[in-house]
Amino acid sequence: MLTFLRRRITSSAIPLVVVILGVFCLARLTGDPANLYLPLSATPEMRAEFAARHGFDQPLYVQFGEYLAQVVRLDFGESLRTAEPAAEAVLRAFPATLQLAGATMILAILGAIAVGSWAAYRPNSAADRIASFTSTTAASMPDFWFAIMGVLVFAVALGWLPTSGTVGALAWVLPVLTLLIRPFGVLVQVVRGAMVSALSAPYIKVARSKGAGELRVVFGHALRNAAPPALTVAGDLTVGLVNGAVVVETIFGWPGIGKLMITSILQRDFAVLQAAVLVTAITIFALNIVIDACYALLDSRVRQGVTT
Amino acid sequence: MIKTMRVPSTPRRRQAASALLALGAMLSAGACSVANSGPETSSGGAAANTVRIVLPEEPPTLEPCDASLTATGRVTRANITEALTERDPGTGRLQPALATEWKQDSPTEWTFTLRPGVKFHDGTAFDAKAAAFSIDRTVGSEIDCNVDGYVFGGIELTATAVDDTTLKVKTAKPDPILPLRLSFVEIVPATTSATGKVREPVGTGPYKIAKWDTGRSLRLERHAGYWGKAPEFAAAEYVWRAEGSIRAAMVKSDEADVAIGLAPEDGAGDSAVQYPNNETSYLRIDATKAPLNDIRVRQAINYAIDRDGLVASVFAGLGKPAGQLVPEGVTGHSSAVQAWPHDMAQAKKLVAEAKAAGVPTDTPIKIIGRNGIYPKAAEAMEVVQNSLIEAGLKVEIEMLDVNAWLEYLLRPFPKNLGPTLLQAQHGNQAGDAAFTMGQIYGSKGAQSSYGTSELDSMIAAAEQASGEERQTAFAKALEHQSKDVVRDAVLAHMTGILALSPRVTYKPNAATNDEMRLADMHPAG
Repeated sequence: MLTFLRRRITSSAIPLVVVILGVFCLARLTGDPANLYLPLSATPEMRAEFAARHGFDQPLYVQFGEYLAQVVRLDFGESLRTAEPAAEAVLRAFPATLQLAGATMILAILGAIAVGSWAAYRPNSAADRIASFTSTTAASMPDFWFAIMGVLVFAVALGWLPTSGTVGALAWVLPVLTLLIRPFGVLVQVVRGAMVSALSAPYIKVARSKGAGELRVVFGHALRNAAPPALTVAGDLTVGLVNGAVVVETIFGWPGIGKLMITSILQRDFAVLQAAVLVTAITIFALNIVIDACYALLDSRVRQGVTT
Repeated sequence: MIKTMRVPSTPRRRQAASALLALGAMLSAGACSVANSGPETSSGGAAANTVRIVLPEEPPTLEPCDASLTATGRVTRANITEALTERDPGTGRLQPALATEWKQDSPTEWTFTLRPGVKFHDGTAFDAKAAAFSIDRTVGSEIDCNVDGYVFGGIELTATAVDDTTLKVKTAKPDPILPLRLSFVEIVPATTSATGKVREPVGTGPYKIAKWDTGRSLRLERHAGYWGKAPEFAAAEYVWRAEGSIRAAMVKSDEADVAIGLAPEDGAGDSAVQYPNNETSYLRIDATKAPLNDIRVRQAINYAIDRDGLVASVFAGLGKPAGQLVPEGVTGHSSAVQAWPHDMAQAKKLVAEAKAAGVPTDTPIKIIGRNGIYPKAAEAMEVVQNSLIEAGLKVEIEMLDVNAWLEYLLRPFPKNLGPTLLQAQHGNQAGDAAFTMGQIYGSKGAQSSYGTSELDSMIAAAEQASGEERQTAFAKALEHQSKDVVRDAVLAHMTGILALSPRVTYKPNAATNDEMRLADMHPAG
C-alpha cells in the first residue's frame, strides 16, 4: 500500500508543478497590472515605480525563481489589491469552499444511494423511469440558470430562503442545492447502473437463499460491490466541485476560493491567484490520492496492478 | 469472482473509514467558522436604525488616499473621512466642508480657514497640521495614492499650518482649481502612517468603522462626537454581491435597503430609482490610421450611428443621446454641442466621397469593446457595427476584459494595430473639464491616440483660466474638437439604476456612483 501511495504521489507531483508554472506565466501574459492599479492619468514614472516595487520589471525567469524561493519559505507574497498576505486571503476562503463542497457531496452521495438503489431494485418500473428522467435532467441543468431561478422562486416570490450570504442554516440551502444538482444526477445514474448489475449477480441469489432480508441484500451485499465505481465518480465530482464553485460562489456571495480566484484573475492579483491555484491544486492532488487509496482498499486488483 | 469482489478484511476497511472520517472532520471543522462568523444580516428583520446596502464588490481597502477608486470612495468619502471642500453634484459649486472658507492670495497661493472644534474618531483634534499632513500624504508621497494620479498627476504643492485653523497651500504653477482638487483629499489625523497605506482609516466623518469582516460584510456606526448634524441611521451594514439580479432580489426580499449598480434587466421593478451617473459613453476614433485619418470618414461614423435608437432599444431608455464628453453641470460643458443627427444618407455620401478621393474605405476597422463597461456593452457595439457597415465601412468587433482593454486605452498602444474604434466611457465626477480634455483630447494625453496642436493650445489656455473665462475656454475647446477634429463618436450620457426598499428614502444624484452619503439616507415615514 505504501509503495502504491509513493508512486501515486510522485506521478501526481509533475502535473502540480506544471500547473504552478503555467499559472505563473499565463498570468503575466495577460497585461500589465499597473493599468488596473494606477489611475488612468498615471505618469510613466509612477508606472515604472509600480513595476519595480512589485518586481514586474525583472525577466520572467527571475520572477519565477524568486517566487519559488518565497514559496519554499511559505511566503506567498502580497495581494496587489488589498495589500494583505496572499496566504491569508486563501486560507480564509478555502474552508468556505470545502464546507460547501463537503456538504454537497455528502448529500449527493446519500441521495444518490437511496434513489439509485430504489431505481435499480425494480429496473424499468415507473420508479426507475422517474429516477432516470430526473437524474438526466439534473445532470444536464446549467447551474447558473438554476441558481437564479432558485433565488427568484424561493427568495423573492416565496420568501422562504435568503437570496445569498453565509449566515444561518437557511443560507446554505440554495448554494448547496445548486451545487448538488449535477453530481446528484450523475451519481444516481452511476449507482443505478452498478446496482443493477450487482443485484443480478449470482452471490445475491446465494444471499437470498440463505435467508437474508431485502434491506440487507440491497445495502449489505449489492451496495458494497457497487461502491467502487460510484466512489471513483464521486471523487471526480468532488474535485470538480472544489474547482468549479466559481458560479455558485459568485452568485451567492459565498466567500470561497472560486470567488477569490475569479476576482484575482479579473484584478490581475498575481500573488493571490498563484496561492489560490497552488492550494486548490494541492487539494485536488490530495483528494485524488485519497480516492485512489480508497479504491485500492476496496478493490485489491487495482492495488496489485500498480504494485506488481 | 465473488471472492475478488468481496470487501477487504476488517483492518483495511478501518483504514478507509478513518481516511473518510478525517476528510469529514476537516470539512465540518470549517463549517462552524462560516456559519457562526460575521455580523452579516440574515434575511429580513433588520434593526430599524441600520441601513443595509449591497454593493457590486467589496472595497479592496478603505484607504482615504485611494478614495478615487469607486469601490473605496463610495464607502469612505463623506462617511468615514471628509475633505476640506466638497462639490455639490447638482450645481457643481464648491461648498465648505472641513474648511469654512478659502481665498486665493496670489496665482500660486491659497489660504484655507478650517472649522474649529472638529474631532477625529479617535478623539484627537482636527487642525491645520492634520490637514497639511493629509495633503502631503496624498500628493506626491511615496505611497502611490490613487487620488494623486487621478486628481493631481504630478502637480507640486506645499501645505503649511499657519495656526490651528489656518492652512496655506502653495503650488509650483498657478492652479485655478486647487480648492476643487482638494475636495478629493480626505483628511486623516497626523498619527496615520505616512509611509504605508492603512486599510481602516480614522476620520472626522459622521460614521466610523465598527467591524470589517473581510469577505463578508462591513459595518459602520455613527460617530457620537460628529461636528455636524447627526445622521439619522445609527449604523450602516454593507455586503457585496457580484450578480446584479441578486442585488435587486435582495431589496425585494427585504435583505437590503439599497442596491446599487443595477442594469435594466436585473428586475428591480418598482424599487428601481434612476439617476444620471456622471458617465458618458463614446467611441474613440484612432484618427492616425487610414481610413479613419480622413475627417469625412469620422463624420460619416457620427452620422451613421442612431443614438436615439441605441438609447431606446439597447439601453432600455436609460440615458440621453450626447454630443460631448462633458455633461451639463460640469465646468466646460458647451450647450452649443449637440448629439450628431442620425443621417445615413449623409454618412453614405461622405464615405463615397472619401473613397472617390482615394481613401481606402474598405480597410477593416476593428471595434475594441469592453465587456460589462455598461449594461449590454456587446449589443451596443453590434448596433454600431451594423450602422457602419450600412454606411459603407468594413467593421469587426473584438470584446475584451478590463485589463486587456486597458492596453488599448492607455499609451503606449499595442504595435501593428490597424484602424480602431475603442468602446470607452468617461466619468465626470471631478466636476471640471480639466480632468477630461488633456488626457483624452491632448495629443500627448494618456488616453489619446490623436490630437492637434491647435486643440492642445486651447486646452492649455483653458487649464490656466478661472471662473467664467475657464468655462468659456473649455466650452470653445470642446466645440472645436466636435466640429473640426472629430476625434470620437460620443454616444450617450448614461443613467444609473439603484433599488431602494420602502424602508428608506434617498435621492441619488450624479455623485452617487462614487460617493454614497449615508447622511442623505433617511428612514421612511
